[in-house]
Amino acid sequence: MINKETVFGRTSKIIFLGICLIVTIFPLYWIVVTSLKAPGTIYSLPLDYWPKELSFENYIGLFTKSDFGVYMLNSLLVATVAATVATLISLLSAYVLARFQFSGRGWVMAAFLLTQMIPGFIALGPLYMMMTNFNLVDSKTGLILVYIAICIPFCTIMLRGFFENVPDALEEAAMIDGCSRLSALFRVLVPVMMPGIAASFIFNFVNCWNELFLSVTLMNSDENKTIPTALAGFISSFNIDWGSMSAAAVLTVVPTLVIFAFASKFIVQGLTAGAVKG
Amino acid sequence: MKSRFTTIAALGVTAVLALSACGGGGAKDSSNGTVTLKMVESLTNPTRTDTIKTLLAGFEKENPNIKVDLISPPTDSADQKIQQMLQSGKGIDVVEARDITVGSFGANKWLYDMSADLKGWDGWDNLTTNAVNYSKQDGKTYYIPYGFYGLSLFYRTDLVKEAGFSGPPASWQDLLKQSEKLNQPDENKFGYAFRGGPNANSNAVAVIEAYTADQIDKENAFKLTNGKTIFSAPEAQQAMDDYLEIFKKGSPPSSVAWGYPEMVQGFSNGSTAFLLQDPEVIATIKESKSLKADQWSVAPLLVGPTGKAIQPVASAGWGIAESSKAKPEAIKLIKYLSQGEPATTFSKDNSLVPILKSAATDPFYSTGPWAAYVTMTENPDTYISATQPRGVAWWTEWIKKSDGELQRVLTGKMTTKELLTSWDSYWTEKMAS
Amino acid sequence: MALTSEQTVVRGSKTAGAPQEPNTTLRQKKRFNSRTALTLLAFMAPAAIFVGIFTYYPMISGSQMAFRNWNLNDLSDTSWVGWGNFVKLFETPEFGTIVRNTIVWVVGSLVPQVVIGFALALFLKRHFKFRGAYQAFIFFPWAVSGFLIGMLFRWMFNAEFGVVNDLLMKAGIIHSPIPWLAEPGFAMTAIIIANIWYGVTFFAIMILAALQSVSDEMYEAAAIDGAGKVRTFFNITLPSIAVTLGLTILLRIIWIFNFPDIIWAMTGGGPADQTHIITTYMIKITQEGDYGQASALGLIVVFTLMLFAAFYLMAVRPRKEKR
Repeated sequence: MINKETVFGRTSKIIFLGICLIVTIFPLYWIVVTSLKAPGTIYSLPLDYWPKELSFENYIGLFTKSDFGVYMLNSLLVATVAATVATLISLLSAYVLARFQFSGRGWVMAAFLLTQMIPGFIALGPLYMMMTNFNLVDSKTGLILVYIAICIPFCTIMLRGFFENVPDALEEAAMIDGCSRLSALFRVLVPVMMPGIAASFIFNFVNCWNELFLSVTLMNSDENKTIPTALAGFISSFNIDWGSMSAAAVLTVVPTLVIFAFASKFIVQGLTAGAVKG
Repeated sequence: MKSRFTTIAALGVTAVLALSACGGGGAKDSSNGTVTLKMVESLTNPTRTDTIKTLLAGFEKENPNIKVDLISPPTDSADQKIQQMLQSGKGIDVVEARDITVGSFGANKWLYDMSADLKGWDGWDNLTTNAVNYSKQDGKTYYIPYGFYGLSLFYRTDLVKEAGFSGPPASWQDLLKQSEKLNQPDENKFGYAFRGGPNANSNAVAVIEAYTADQIDKENAFKLTNGKTIFSAPEAQQAMDDYLEIFKKGSPPSSVAWGYPEMVQGFSNGSTAFLLQDPEVIATIKESKSLKADQWSVAPLLVGPTGKAIQPVASAGWGIAESSKAKPEAIKLIKYLSQGEPATTFSKDNSLVPILKSAATDPFYSTGPWAAYVTMTENPDTYISATQPRGVAWWTEWIKKSDGELQRVLTGKMTTKELLTSWDSYWTEKMAS
Repeated sequence: MALTSEQTVVRGSKTAGAPQEPNTTLRQKKRFNSRTALTLLAFMAPAAIFVGIFTYYPMISGSQMAFRNWNLNDLSDTSWVGWGNFVKLFETPEFGTIVRNTIVWVVGSLVPQVVIGFALALFLKRHFKFRGAYQAFIFFPWAVSGFLIGMLFRWMFNAEFGVVNDLLMKAGIIHSPIPWLAEPGFAMTAIIIANIWYGVTFFAIMILAALQSVSDEMYEAAAIDGAGKVRTFFNITLPSIAVTLGLTILLRIIWIFNFPDIIWAMTGGGPADQTHIITTYMIKITQEGDYGQASALGLIVVFTLMLFAAFYLMAVRPRKEKR
């Protein structure tokens, strides 16, 4: 690998990376094109690979005909709060799992892993009943609480890997200096692990931002709905509104894309630290 | 440093508390005497939701102490959500019940029987016989229909003419002939917008019923007068074979997976010439940018070799949750929606067969696409109304079973004969129990 | 001192147990005292409470339906039926197809994901101009929800107005449009393509991260030994990241297995139930109202995955020790 790249190697690398990029980006390009076509022209043959006339009707419709702005704010709020709280909580539990040997540790890990294997549909009914009893149906708090619970297991497993890469000596030194364990954790470890924490946060955020089934089940009123519910709403019994859906999809994907553009370095860095230990 | 963590934690807690203040909400706010009704729709679509909201605004104006919150879940998962809400017994007062869900909702005692409250209601006189019958099934009033669905044939006047036919197909055999001629897959032009996906069984059953129309039991359109199922009749075999031919020779191959939206889009974007659908579709096709008003029209339901067709009437309407704590107010709302202007607006905006007698004299229903419906109501001996057993608790099970098997036939994994045998034994068993 | 405090932990915490052998690793040197134990409990508590209430309680409560006649269409009789729901499931004619589809879905999606993801990671390892921007774009599928991916590909694979057919016809590969989602074989291909598109990124990120943690000295040593590229790859690269790769694949298998979103949005399991995997079939039964059978199926999924994970980990472990 340290020997020089051959011309052949270089060419094949460029071709491969180029193809990957095109294939990856094409669907995004296609929803952008679809969203910019005037509603009647989506079904016209031959297909236009760029709208003959740019039309923002689909986008305007989103904000005038539905409360898409409200849904976006809701998603932003719910995903930010849930991802933040889940990351904080997981930080604590991951710390314990990484730093201390106790005999139930394996079981705790298994219990967290198990949550990844459960098909969500099993729990949906009882969860709904419970949320009704707590008066948390159609409430952003309710949705946030559930999202936090969903994020914790994987986030803990991920963060635990990061902790194992940071030498114990760091926080021990801090504790000898008179810090409590909690302040040692936040004062010494968190700054060192920032890339990993950022990666976990983004992971949580994206999951909450995209979650559909729970949101549909738990949210009723327009002022509480999140974006995925709105997306599903474009499928009515006798029509799939591809134009509006594409416009909404573009608006849904762009924020996450921006986050990625800024954080992709973090993500790889963070995972480099954590992934090795699995 | 410690304080920074405390700050973060405090922020988190504050955020959660602040949010909980804006969530939740109860049904009755006793402080100012206002009652809030939660109303849940099932066949959600954006235009219809707007109509309902307008109607509700009118209701709230007339009843300043009642507020109605409309809940509009995505239609795909709406019935499942409604089930969950009814089961939990909270947050639901008025509910959209469909003939296919009312059976199970009733069996679970989730719906309130309105008979006593509606005794002596002056509105009964204004409703059509059909509407009254559907409101009083088995002596119980679980819902009042807001309209009816029934099949008719949407067709392309221009294409039919160009192909040299004098008029739209009147029978299933005509449809086969015309679709075959109009089908040009290479140009993305097809004959019939076949239903092979979700709820495919409904159209298949319509064919079978048209072929067995002479022997059908009108009280139970799945049964022959001799007590056997319609699927056991030899005519049913012919019906399914013809139907399969229509698919093979006159329909887009992708229609194996077409459900309601794909069929309607297939017609409204101009790729298919024929579509068998509910009147509800009229409004959608009118909005189509690919079809001009003079390019399409509506013809009556297709008949079989018997010269007759069975019109399967489907209905949906508004009911009240048994758990509702605001039943008197809910009754008020349902009465409001089932009368006069609101009822007319609702059925016109959504192009439904109306529930009010007064519609018979309304010019709206005798012109344009609606003329076919008038033809059908004026010829009850050709277009026979018969009740399908849509209210039974196993109806959803039947839909899934029959849809799956029909697709199996379309994809060549099952013969029409095997299909009919399977359907026959299913219903024979169910009817016996 | 160490021993007594560990005993405190035993009393103080349910999860604590037998004392560790001292001084084998750095980690185990950590001394427990009752204050530490309390801190640990306090640290674990929020996670335990959240997961307990919002995940485990509903799940366990939902599992009992698997053994009852729990059909939302008629709840008048919800008696216990033992293994009845399981038996009914196994007797379903489509069950064989569904199991087969699940395997095809998992393997068919996983293998290309690993291979392409690996290649991508190898190419991305070395720094080049615009690598940051390139990564941001290539990671984008990961940010899209399963439902949206499904809808997106359903639109692109549309038989009459889909861009896939249009491109294939322009390229002269096909002459008439393929009814992608209407023919079982094509439909299965289409959903797997969508899933590959979604999952390659994940592997690329994980493998790239792992590759970057392999020290350059090892490569240098190999180069001095005169090892070629292929040999270096099999002797150094692969063994170094084997553990990460193994665990990543395990997690991924679990997720793909449990990932109905794309299929549900694209085909809904059709045509003719030919693209159902176990979890989409579970949604189908749920929508039909038979929660009893759906829960039974859910339990089957959990136990299959648990067994699989156990075997898989056993198979992966020894390699770890050898290293």
